[in-house]
Amino acid sequence: MAIDPSMEPMLEVFIYESTSLLEQLDEILLESEKSKSFSEDNINEIFRTMHTIKGSSAMMEFTGISTLAHAVEDVFFIIREEPARMGQVNETLFDLVFRASDFLKTEIESVQNSGEATKDPSSMIAELKQLAAVMKGETPPAGAAVPAQDAAQAPPPPSGGAGMVRIKVYFEDGCQMENIRAFMLISQLKDLCDQLETIPSHPENDASCCSDIIKNGLILDLKPVGSLDDVIHAIENAVNIKTYEVLDDGTAPAPAPEAPKAAPGDSAAPAAPKPAAPAAAPAAAGPGKVKQSLVSVNQAKLDQLMDLVGEIVTSESMVVGNPELRGLKLDNFHKSARELRKLTDELQDIVMSIRMVPLSGVFQRMNRIVRDMCKKLEKDVDLVTEGGDTEVDKTINEAIGDPFMHMIRNSMDHGIELPEERLKKGKPAKGKITLAAKNIGGEIVITISDDGQGLDTEALMRKARNNGLLTKPESEYTDKEIFGFIMLPGFSTNKEVTEFSGRGVGMDVVRQNLEKVGGTLSIDSKWGEGTTFTIKIPLTLAIVDGMELAVGNSVFTLPITSIKQSFKLSEGAQLVVDTDGSEMIMIRGQCYPLIRLHQIYGIETQVTDLADGILMQIENSDKVACIFADELLGEQQVVVKPFPKFLAKYEIKQMGISGCTILGDGSISLILDANNLLNSQH
Amino acid sequence: MSIDTKIVAEDALEDLRGRYLTFYIDNTCYGIELLYISEIISTQPITQIPGLPIYYKGIINLRGKVAPIIDVRLKFGQEERPYDDKTCIIMVNISDMQVGLIVDMVADVVTIDDAIRNPPPESGMRNGERYLSSIAKVSGKVVLNIDCEKFFQSDLRPY
Repeated sequence: MAIDPSMEPMLEVFIYESTSLLEQLDEILLESEKSKSFSEDNINEIFRTMHTIKGSSAMMEFTGISTLAHAVEDVFFIIREEPARMGQVNETLFDLVFRASDFLKTEIESVQNSGEATKDPSSMIAELKQLAAVMKGETPPAGAAVPAQDAAQAPPPPSGGAGMVRIKVYFEDGCQMENIRAFMLISQLKDLCDQLETIPSHPENDASCCSDIIKNGLILDLKPVGSLDDVIHAIENAVNIKTYEVLDDGTAPAPAPEAPKAAPGDSAAPAAPKPAAPAAAPAAAGPGKVKQSLVSVNQAKLDQLMDLVGEIVTSESMVVGNPELRGLKLDNFHKSARELRKLTDELQDIVMSIRMVPLSGVFQRMNRIVRDMCKKLEKDVDLVTEGGDTEVDKTINEAIGDPFMHMIRNSMDHGIELPEERLKKGKPAKGKITLAAKNIGGEIVITISDDGQGLDTEALMRKARNNGLLTKPESEYTDKEIFGFIMLPGFSTNKEVTEFSGRGVGMDVVRQNLEKVGGTLSIDSKWGEGTTFTIKIPLTLAIVDGMELAVGNSVFTLPITSIKQSFKLSEGAQLVVDTDGSEMIMIRGQCYPLIRLHQIYGIETQVTDLADGILMQIENSDKVACIFADELLGEQQVVVKPFPKFLAKYEIKQMGISGCTILGDGSISLILDANNLLNSQH
Repeated sequence: MSIDTKIVAEDALEDLRGRYLTFYIDNTCYGIELLYISEIISTQPITQIPGLPIYYKGIINLRGKVAPIIDVRLKFGQEERPYDDKTCIIMVNISDMQVGLIVDMVADVVTIDDAIRNPPPESGMRNGERYLSSIAKVSGKVVLNIDCEKFFQSDLRPY
């Protein structure tokens, strides 16, 4: 069915909305799967998500999507009514919902690409219906029934019989280390009670139960020594307690009215939990649940804004640095100019910050990939992410999604061993992949490390030899160079092609994609202990601190990050010419190749004698060289412009030029790319 | 866009059809369909870029936009000559991209009816004539009409 043209704008909103809803859904599902249960909040959220998708897709006349959403909604309707029922079908349920979510995603993608939803969800709907039937108790579950695991949803009644009191305690929002606080509270209460049991049972041993405590509260089943009032008094006086409620005081059948306690300093204490939904209310007010007012903006408009700000910065320096002003005494003018400068700087910062998005979205997707691959490969892997709040430019964020996916897949497939194998090697059965991002001085450093088998240098060498990739004697290769082989096109160490990897396109694509956004990739590995990929990407591509170099009539901008030093030939440096005539500069006993800019770019210049010009030592992750230019013009912050699309066909980037920028006087300067300059030198 | 403005815009486009900007390279008169042309500017400082075919002179800054510049003489395989005050850059829009063409001199805008346009000769074409769409005679002058799609074909073709 084709889309009515009048629906176009709505289609865009539909796609955007559904995609973000499905992403949220995935997040909730993963979180729930980890805790092996759905909290009431999450059930409601999933229910709402499916309901929204159902409604909007029905409006857009995508029947397939809407019926599937309806089937999922049905399942969650049952769970919402009777949470205990899902205990029987836990695993199947998660699998099915994940698959449904994937199905919806591909369908929405196909809507985006072709305007049509094509696939037939009926088999999946049938499965969901069957699941719903199982939960309703109409049919017995296919496999062995999984015992009800969700203690938080339906905690077993206190076992001690008469005299037992159940108290639920909530800690203050954001007080952190809830498990330790719970432990402190428990040890305080121990003296006052004959019997004391808690859910979770040993909070101090397991930091991961913090979120449970935040969500569901700490549940205390106790038998007071003296009166119950003593215990309650102790709870009231403990620090960081937000609210508590006595659920079952052993005597009265009806729950006692909760006693909210306004914590000191917590003026914004949320409304006391209603007896009807004690678990939901505090969780809703918990940290991170605050709805921010957000506006979604078309990215093209952001790009335009960025361009415009770049223009303003340029024209501002055109006005202030105007040659006609030279030699005039203009105190007031310069004062105002400085004011303007301050404002444009601020404007620039804000526009840049608008374009920044946290990496957590990308990280989240990796979680999902790890989960799916664990099931398929029968491996047990934990993905640990750190620094998900690190922000990068939107374009970079989009460009690194695919490389990450390839690398995680590689680590899962080649790196991490099967559980039995791991145990044999004396490693824990559960593998671990760490994804960490850090912001280090204008660069984002992301490491992906696994504790798998590592790279086998000998196998890599053999493969490289067989493929005829060696360019020098084998003994001269360093480990790093050998690891570098896996980034060559068509190079895969996996013996057979699997669903996930082995075709040898992975790391090659990874490297290319990263280079497109100015990133670098390096590999470190220890045989038997694991592999670490380190990615360095610039924070933003838009603005660069550069050094202006003159060569003949041309001006080049060299990013300051790649400059090691600049010097004149006379200052202890020496020109060395080797046997095949290539020139090198010797500094403190070390030789570096010389790149004459006027020579490689064919520019006419008066300055060809090294002593007349200036030398700059540049470096990337593994090479160093010296470039020769006529003159140093000074340092400037420049707005990077890509080359016109018209020239996309030509390999200007391979020539060591990454883009261009417009200087204060309106002329264009080419931005040098040290990485490509160095790589083009052999 | 309301219906009225749409019609006006379509009328304006219709007006441009069949109208050509003529310019000179040496003594030969060429024409480009006005539909493609965004503006005519005087010569500007051009920044060279390495790694491009010889007929690219480089890039210019056109009010903050960076646009590549092609010297038509070089594209036609003719010899370069120094720019003078008659030398112009014709900015052309092709596939939503801007590119400038350096020509010796811009003449004027003429209307060429379909009736008087003849297809270019099949054989014996010189370098520059490969890019022609038609030949016409307007007020005693022979105009060689350039087919923009053909002219930029080698640049637009991906890789």
